[in-house]
Amino acid sequence: MIKEPEQDVAGKLFDPYLTRRLLRYARPYRWWLAACIALILGMALIQSYLPVLIQHAIDRFLLNEDGSLDTAARVAGLTRIGWQYIAWAVLAFAIRYAQSYGMAWIAEHIIFNMRADIFAKILRLPLSYLDRHPVGRLMTRVTSDVDAMQKMVSDGLVGLIADAFVLLAIMGFMWHLSPQLALTLFAVFPLLMAVMGWINWNTRRAHRRVRHKQSALNAHLQEMITGMLTLQLFNREPQAQAEFDRRNQELRGGWLETVRWISYFFPSMEVLNALSIALVFSVGGWLLWQDADTVTIGVIVAFMAYVRDFFRPLEDLSEKSTVFQSAMASSERIFQLLDEPEVLYDPPQPVALDPFRGAVDFDRVWFAYNSEDWVLKDLSFSIAPGEAVAIVGATGAGKTSIISLINRFYDVQRGQVRVDGHDVRAYRQADLRRRIGVVIQDPFIFSGSIASNIDLHQPDIAREQVVAAARYVNAHRFIEALPDGYDTPLQERGISLSTGQKQLLALARALVQDPDILLILDEATANVDTESELLIQDALQRLMRGRTSICIAHRLSTIRGVKRILVMRHGELVEEGSHQELISREGYYRRLYELLAHQPV
Amino acid sequence: MAAATPLSLRAYVWRHRRRIVTGFALVLASVGIHVGMPFITRYAVDALREGAVPPLVIAGYAGAYLLAALAMAICGVHMRQILLALGHQVEYEIRRDVFNHLTRMDAYFYQRERTGDLMTKMTSDLTAVREFVGQGLFQGARTAIGFVLAFGIMFALNVRLAAVMLLLLPAISVLFFFLIRVLRVRYEASQEQFSRISNFSQESFAGIRTLRGYAIEARQQARFGLLNQEYIKLQMGLSRVERPLWPTMVLLFGLGVVAILWVGGRQVVAGDLTIGQFVQFSQYLFILQWPMLALGWTINLLQRGRASWQRIATILEADPRIADHQDTDHRITEVHGDIRFERVRLTMGATPVLHDIQLHIPAGQTLGITGPTGSGKTLLASLLARLLDPTQGRVTIGGCDLRQIPLDVLRQHVGVAPQEAFLFSDTLANNIGFGLAEPDAEKIFAAAQLAELHPDIETFPDQFDTWLGERGVTLSGGQRQRTAISRALARDPAILILDDVFSAIDTQTEAAIQARLRPVLQDRTTLIISHRVSSLRHADRIIVLQNGCITQSGTHAELVQQPGYYRELDEVQRLEARLEGEA
Repeated sequence: MIKEPEQDVAGKLFDPYLTRRLLRYARPYRWWLAACIALILGMALIQSYLPVLIQHAIDRFLLNEDGSLDTAARVAGLTRIGWQYIAWAVLAFAIRYAQSYGMAWIAEHIIFNMRADIFAKILRLPLSYLDRHPVGRLMTRVTSDVDAMQKMVSDGLVGLIADAFVLLAIMGFMWHLSPQLALTLFAVFPLLMAVMGWINWNTRRAHRRVRHKQSALNAHLQEMITGMLTLQLFNREPQAQAEFDRRNQELRGGWLETVRWISYFFPSMEVLNALSIALVFSVGGWLLWQDADTVTIGVIVAFMAYVRDFFRPLEDLSEKSTVFQSAMASSERIFQLLDEPEVLYDPPQPVALDPFRGAVDFDRVWFAYNSEDWVLKDLSFSIAPGEAVAIVGATGAGKTSIISLINRFYDVQRGQVRVDGHDVRAYRQADLRRRIGVVIQDPFIFSGSIASNIDLHQPDIAREQVVAAARYVNAHRFIEALPDGYDTPLQERGISLSTGQKQLLALARALVQDPDILLILDEATANVDTESELLIQDALQRLMRGRTSICIAHRLSTIRGVKRILVMRHGELVEEGSHQELISREGYYRRLYELLAHQPV
Repeated sequence: MAAATPLSLRAYVWRHRRRIVTGFALVLASVGIHVGMPFITRYAVDALREGAVPPLVIAGYAGAYLLAALAMAICGVHMRQILLALGHQVEYEIRRDVFNHLTRMDAYFYQRERTGDLMTKMTSDLTAVREFVGQGLFQGARTAIGFVLAFGIMFALNVRLAAVMLLLLPAISVLFFFLIRVLRVRYEASQEQFSRISNFSQESFAGIRTLRGYAIEARQQARFGLLNQEYIKLQMGLSRVERPLWPTMVLLFGLGVVAILWVGGRQVVAGDLTIGQFVQFSQYLFILQWPMLALGWTINLLQRGRASWQRIATILEADPRIADHQDTDHRITEVHGDIRFERVRLTMGATPVLHDIQLHIPAGQTLGITGPTGSGKTLLASLLARLLDPTQGRVTIGGCDLRQIPLDVLRQHVGVAPQEAFLFSDTLANNIGFGLAEPDAEKIFAAAQLAELHPDIETFPDQFDTWLGERGVTLSGGQRQRTAISRALARDPAILILDDVFSAIDTQTEAAIQARLRPVLQDRTTLIISHRVSSLRHADRIIVLQNGCITQSGTHAELVQQPGYYRELDEVQRLEARLEGEA
């Protein structure tokens, strides 16, 4: 059996726990909510009062059975009732508008807070969580899931209350006009509810099936489009067409099922409506025959209007239950995310980082991403403030993890990583990371300008500083040559940079923060032309000057430029010393070095 | 098949003209009964007005009313089933035709068109077209017929009252048409902001390491907040138009009630109109309520549907460049012989990517191709399977230009295992036997064995029937590559292309596959593209491609003697092997 895509899981209609958590978000707006509900009540009363006015107009002025009024008085009365009707209708309009606009406002603000919370939460979640969950899925939480909640708050919830009020008000006025007629109709209402509920339920089920089939077909189509050339290479077009046609027919079948229920929905509504009206006439006529005083023609006409009004909330019900179901399913996913443990917490009493010197110590560090799969084994080394160190080793030796541990993207399992003599867990994460600059070869480019990609939207960094940083790392020249210089847009609608240019940008980004500790991930990269390569090497050397620098190095120039080299193999430190010392030792480093020397640039 | 695909929406609809006529007849019947029903109420009310009517008479009227409603409902059910289903039928036909057309489109088309855009056309645009056909025909017919019939009766009954209605009701349609239009503009503006929010979160989550590394989460949250505030503003702007829609409608129909009360009421008082006729008129107001509203909505639907259809039509209008044409020689059913590239040049857009390739691969030989990333190795192989055609020059097999060979015949004989194997969400067996006309368990098993895939398969939950992809087992890179190899081998092709299919496979497994492949490769022409000397060394000849040119050519023994790319590659890989050996 194929698993259902998550957005199609039908939620419950109502879940007390989720509702309580939702209400917590509504709490700041409770008085506004109360005001809106009061308005709904007023609106329901006015709306249901209008047929009473018509009844009055008919009995008193149109028919005037007792003949107590002359023609002029009857016309004047009609005019007066007309104006009253207009006045009430305009008031109802104003209330309806104010109420629904107010609800929209409240919903938007509740949702605003919720969306901000989810976004902030995701930014705090551990990287291991983010690695496991595709970005697309996380986006759904801040977009469509929140949207479903918004629909429920602004339409579903209030709509339901409004419908309930309207139904009650109508029943009240019916009772007031004629208890006998009202009771007759009340007797058949359960039948109406049952029939409509049954059709509703089936319509919704048919719709849900169509959604499943539609999303299955879309997934299939997307796969076919992506794999089309493969398909053609293997002459599979006829089979693919047949398979698509089968699914397409299945979807059509699903739609025809919904059409069937929709085609029952409105006609049965009309028949039930007619049944109610037929009842009003029969019973009304019988009451008139029995005793002319209990009902009047005006009352019968008013009841016809009530029957009409009574059906509208019933029509909406199917839409509302869909809104509720998807909102409950969404809120479940949202709260599940909000309850996700964050793993890396700041200490309650963080150690201050002023003044900062930049010493780094690894003290018997054991680290694994997955339980016992050790990436670092009992690793120890010390780096003095201002010292530059290169770490070399084959792929998978655990070099990159060292960087992730220093800026505390992960916590160690055993041992300690210390910065300035304190465990990194003793600092606030933000304080620590602000002191550390990370340079990676393939930096993440945000959509925005060149300048915003260097200063990362920090308002306290002036343009001059951005330019100075770019100049210092040799990025200024290529930036100046771009159409809009530092304001040239990047990503999507902007230009795309070459690998070398991206690397220079990453250097400027790190420098502008003026970090005390510099972590450089100098992975082997292809496609950097010789000129850029020289610019990058030069900039790296300058950047490392006077800063504690740890460089995961692949470039020979970088390796030769530092006094101390740590050689890693399978998570352990195997050799240590200067380039000359290590080369003369003829050990693992020497062979590694030969390999690097052969790497085509 | 291709000729049967109509290029106009009208043609799609016109095919179903019989159903449309039946549907319209039912609409006429249903609406006719609907406008007739107020006569029953009128006579009933007038009878009650006379006083002292026996209850049975009134019950008769009530029964007639109920029967009329039943008749109307039966027509209503069928008209909906016929006309709404028509929309889905047309949607089905268009979707089928567009998909079939997509299977004929070539690599150029798929480079140009983004998958996302194609998907939008096949989903939301198609929905708009369906609504255009289904709802458009249904609501359009109902509104037109309802309008004519109801006003015909009203004018016949009472010209003055009918004239008042005629002033009021169309005004509602016009008002709604414009309101809905403003609504759409604002809706789109708010949707745009919504996609900004979603892009921003996408970027924030994808770039989380950078945000965290620079400790700028708080600022990112603040910027997210600003985007959301702007969204609220736009949403409220939308609400200002959307929220009054329903209240306005209620108010306008309230005014209609008052108009009937004032104009009709006076006539009742004057004795020109019976109370029954008065009630009858008020009923027409409500019978016309929905059609009048629907009119504004339907016109918007039609406009949108037309625009969507035009977008879908762009797919149907596109013609593939790589397809059989008048020069195709359909007598060719076999492909064999030497392969020759004759002064082949290839440009992508304006960039030349292959220059003057001159290459002869004798039948049955194995050619190794290597060179830096982006030097044109895969493009060279693509020419052979005619995923692309040369810009200049020609590629021949057995002296025959590839463009003369029917496409399906050519591809039947060329087996490609590509760099990035595309596996389908299907069972493993179906993925391996993908190119077989009939699934053949024996061939599939043999192919899996050749690619050393069977030890892995034994560990899978359902062996060959294991479902691949998101909803099943996710294969490792090496497993994918080996599946791709078996898929190509299962077809038993005369020409085999292995495009960098060993890169994620460890050297021991590669050696095992090579050993198994040796007898298989003997009786077919093979192209092996690789960065690994170990994959290339047994080839009859190896060429080096650099920047779209063949820079070196020879056997492994010859090339390691020459200074150049190949020798460098060999040395680096030997050093790497030594390091690994110590690990």
